[in-house]
Amino acid sequence: MHTSMNTTDTLTSVRPVVARNLTKRYGRHTALNGLTLDLPEGRVVGLLGRNGAGKTTLLNLASGLILPSEGTIETLGVSTVDLDTPQLTRLGVVQQEGRCIEWMTVRQHLDFNASFYPRWDRDLERRLVDALEVDPKRRIAELSPGDRQKVGILLGVCHRPSLLLLDEPASALDPIVRMQLLDVLLERLRDDGCTMVISSHLLSDVEKIVDWVIALDAGELVENAAFDELQESFAEWTVLPRNGELPGQFDEPYILSREGNWRQAVIRVRTAEADAAVQFAERHGVEVRSRPLNLEEMFPLITRKKATS
Amino acid sequence: MPPVLVIDHHNGVPAYRQLMDQIKFQIAAGVLKSGEEMESTRALSAALSLNPMTISKAYGLLEREGVLERRRGQTLTVRAAEGGQAAAARAEVLGKALEAAAATARQLGISDAEALRLFKATLNAHQHEHD
Repeated sequence: MHTSMNTTDTLTSVRPVVARNLTKRYGRHTALNGLTLDLPEGRVVGLLGRNGAGKTTLLNLASGLILPSEGTIETLGVSTVDLDTPQLTRLGVVQQEGRCIEWMTVRQHLDFNASFYPRWDRDLERRLVDALEVDPKRRIAELSPGDRQKVGILLGVCHRPSLLLLDEPASALDPIVRMQLLDVLLERLRDDGCTMVISSHLLSDVEKIVDWVIALDAGELVENAAFDELQESFAEWTVLPRNGELPGQFDEPYILSREGNWRQAVIRVRTAEADAAVQFAERHGVEVRSRPLNLEEMFPLITRKKATS
Repeated sequence: MPPVLVIDHHNGVPAYRQLMDQIKFQIAAGVLKSGEEMESTRALSAALSLNPMTISKAYGLLEREGVLERRRGQTLTVRAAEGGQAAAARAEVLGKALEAAAATARQLGISDAEALRLFKATLNAHQHEHD
């Protein structure tokens, strides 16, 4: 049904977001510090970082809502200072606390927004209103935070953007609606092949859909890699002595942390070498049992800069 | 109906790896038969709520490993394995499952003979279950 709308689109092959030495200061506080980034196209990018790491600042810079203090940022091929109709109609933004026109009903607000977008998809809108369980007759002012968030999502995706920026889109949603949201986003991906950036603290949700990870720490880029690659390089090893005791220290550079004692150690590692555990076992005369880490376990290792040893 | 694939998003193993292992397992076990057509990337992405890129990656790697093949007309099918290959594929699947057991045996200091005896006993227990 939608394929007819996927006609030759001259803008779809444009790089979604390119930042060069991007800095944003608020008074004396530096929210984002010299960030250089080329967002991969057609990916679902998880934007991770602790509170205050600069995630919202980056998303607001990308959508042109705020302007850089230094450096440049281009969205859909155009400097965000010059974003205009051709780019804005292809950009979808779902803010953490989206501003809506309070006196309108959900229906009125959808119609209002639809009037700006030639690509607004009524069929998609109907299905999303159903899936997310939104009552179109209610006034925005009367909505719960969760329902507000759903309206924000509807307003952000029904024009079928080629770049979708989502800032904590699910924080107020219950687990069932969050699943629906993930399905909605995956469907957008299959139908439109759009690029998405999702910032979220709900890592177990993000894990299901993300295929690229960008992490910020104190305003700096600390990670920019394919999610598969991260999953394959982080691991936890349980180390036991083969006979006697464990050495007091392991000095492999890929070791991120060590806990335990001379009888058993649990170490967290990051290495792309497939046989690192085998070599480690041989070198130290130990037994190693390895298991991969999930995103929640990786998060502190990624977002905390390497411990100063 | 195609056989069921289940992805655990929380165990740290990349989803494309889980897909590859399960498809290989299903082929080795004869659930997926040679010449059988794989589900489209799109359909599987919808069924598993999985990023379509993940599925293309798994399919692409399985194709490169010669487990699947793309026929004319673009359909992706299970490649017919020769006698030796099928046995090797089964051995690979079992070998992977035994790795954890082997590591545990070493950590516990269990002798090879004792470990083999235990494996035999476990096999026997399963045989009785199924008979």
